[in-house]
Amino acid sequence: MHGAAQARKYRLQGAGLDLALPYLMLAPGLTIVLGVLVYPLWDGLRASTKAYRYGSPVGDIGLQNYVRLWSDVQFLNSLWVTVKFVALSVSFEAVLGFALALFCLREFQGIRLLRTVLIIPMVVTPVVVAIVFRLIYASDAGMLTALSQAMGGGAVQILGNPVNAFVGLVVLDVWEWTPLMFLILLAGLQSLPHEPFEAARVDGAGAWRVFADLTFPMMRPVLAVAIVLRTIDAFGTFDQVFVLTRGGPGEATRLISIYGYDTAFKFQQTGYAAALFVTIGLVVLALAFSAIRLLRRVDAS
Amino acid sequence: MSSVLYKNVVKNFGALNVLRSLDLAVPDHKFLALLGPSGCGKTTALRVLAGLDMPTSGKVFIGERDVTRLQPRDRDIAMVFQSYALYPQMTVAENIGYPLWIRGTPEAGRKAKIGEVAAILEIGHLLDRRPRQLSGGQRQRVALARAIVRDPAAFLMDEPLSNLDARLRLTMRGEIKRLCQRLSATTIYVTHDQVEALTMADLVAVMHGGELQQMAPPIDIYDRPANRFVATFVGNPPMNILPAAPGEQGVMVGRNIVPLEQTRLAACRQAGIVEIGLRPEDCGVAQPGEPGALPGEIYVVEPMGNETLVNVCLEGGNVSVRAGRDFRGAVGESIGVAFDPANACFFNAAGLTAVHRVNSNGRDK
Repeated sequence: MHGAAQARKYRLQGAGLDLALPYLMLAPGLTIVLGVLVYPLWDGLRASTKAYRYGSPVGDIGLQNYVRLWSDVQFLNSLWVTVKFVALSVSFEAVLGFALALFCLREFQGIRLLRTVLIIPMVVTPVVVAIVFRLIYASDAGMLTALSQAMGGGAVQILGNPVNAFVGLVVLDVWEWTPLMFLILLAGLQSLPHEPFEAARVDGAGAWRVFADLTFPMMRPVLAVAIVLRTIDAFGTFDQVFVLTRGGPGEATRLISIYGYDTAFKFQQTGYAAALFVTIGLVVLALAFSAIRLLRRVDAS
Repeated sequence: MSSVLYKNVVKNFGALNVLRSLDLAVPDHKFLALLGPSGCGKTTALRVLAGLDMPTSGKVFIGERDVTRLQPRDRDIAMVFQSYALYPQMTVAENIGYPLWIRGTPEAGRKAKIGEVAAILEIGHLLDRRPRQLSGGQRQRVALARAIVRDPAAFLMDEPLSNLDARLRLTMRGEIKRLCQRLSATTIYVTHDQVEALTMADLVAVMHGGELQQMAPPIDIYDRPANRFVATFVGNPPMNILPAAPGEQGVMVGRNIVPLEQTRLAACRQAGIVEIGLRPEDCGVAQPGEPGALPGEIYVVEPMGNETLVNVCLEGGNVSVRAGRDFRGAVGESIGVAFDPANACFFNAAGLTAVHRVNSNGRDK
């Protein structure tokens, strides 16, 4: 007994402990990653190859779920809505964020306060943002309607009109996520060396040429990373739409995430929904990789 | 090419007084080195001339033109930065051609000019590369090429050699001097390295604490420093300074008399000198107790190969002496320091040089 305890003690000392220690320290984190990332991913992949009835798997159907996606008009439509939404939101966010970052690069009285205020939307919980925008958009008692009525107009239809609802969603996303672009781009701008800009001013460049010949080319890698990040994130937009419109009116704001949610939880087609999200995951992954490769090639040329 | 003139230029950064009323005139075609320790305001002076910083008050002229309120691009200058400041996304050719391109020079003329300056600086084979594919020395050459591609009114250089390694710095020092002589360009060259200033410049302006201390040709800066600061800042090892006072037959250094001819002694007396300055190379080692030599003991001996630096502890302080390469001596040994009083200069209580040395490198002053 005594000898065994001593042996165990020796085993966890010196060289033996040195070897084991890194793995022991990694174990908790690794367990969590395996549990909440790898296993669900694996389970989702498995689910995507099964047919479900009333929420329970009833048999393996191979890749049939994946094939079915491409003849599903609702899926294709929600994909198109998502692409439109992502493209519009991210472009506006990039342009606005870049402009704001350039503006906030200058030092003047109150600049710190301004920078802080500008990032507030980003830190508000998405659901809260959506509720606030509902209060603005609502056609009966919303802020826009109140404003319009105060100026003698009628009720403003945002969430009831397909085009307006979609635009309203884009506006919400731009409001909420421009700060992220702003933050990343401001950090990028601040990390650029000063001297080339001074050299350009001495060499004869005006403000626009300095931007076009130096700032933009030097910022391109940062801009690309920010856009890729935001694009991946925007593809997964869910809570705001869920609270604001639930995908309506009609299918006007039904993003892929909402359609997938409906498929899984409303129509209980778990396997089909899994196939849908795996597909979207692959599409986003491919997008990100090609963006990064494109960026590398541009940079190397 | 044009002359450059600073008129009462003051620059404050908040409460910090960086330039206190700078007056400086650089004649046309001259190479001026702005020399001083870090924080002396030399770089600020250059940036004010470039238009990158606005002076708090005062005026800056390039040629006859008052450029004080002009944008950098309207000043007709070219600048070389310490960090080279190349445009990272452009090729070497595009970097060099940028000042021409921005001014709308047609492509044919631009190409010819790029080729020409690239040939001068021997970087013709690098034209398609990007700055990050170049070594420090090559980047330096590209920065120089970009500066000389136009014919500006003046060249501004801000410590262009300080990012290079010691060997390369030596080579580029000569190259830049040759280049500037060839272009006969008005050049303002900021450096903290006295060797660069002395070897390259036609005129050296020594600055300290935001004030111009002295502007003169290099040899005069060295031989006839205007004050104690210039005397000790220029020269390596620096000039030896010992407390001194005018006496009956000569100047008293401690308890020793340094004999001086009557006119100089009278000048010393009149100025109320308090210190004597001696260059290490004007001192020699002597036997202890030798008449006229200051007695002391060896503090440290540093053989340099071509000579030996001997630091001697005297009554009024330590002095450096340049002895021959064969000098041998042990720490603590008694020794004498001999010198020709004609080579000594004397400072008054305000730190100004009251009496200069008699000989100035063979030239009588």
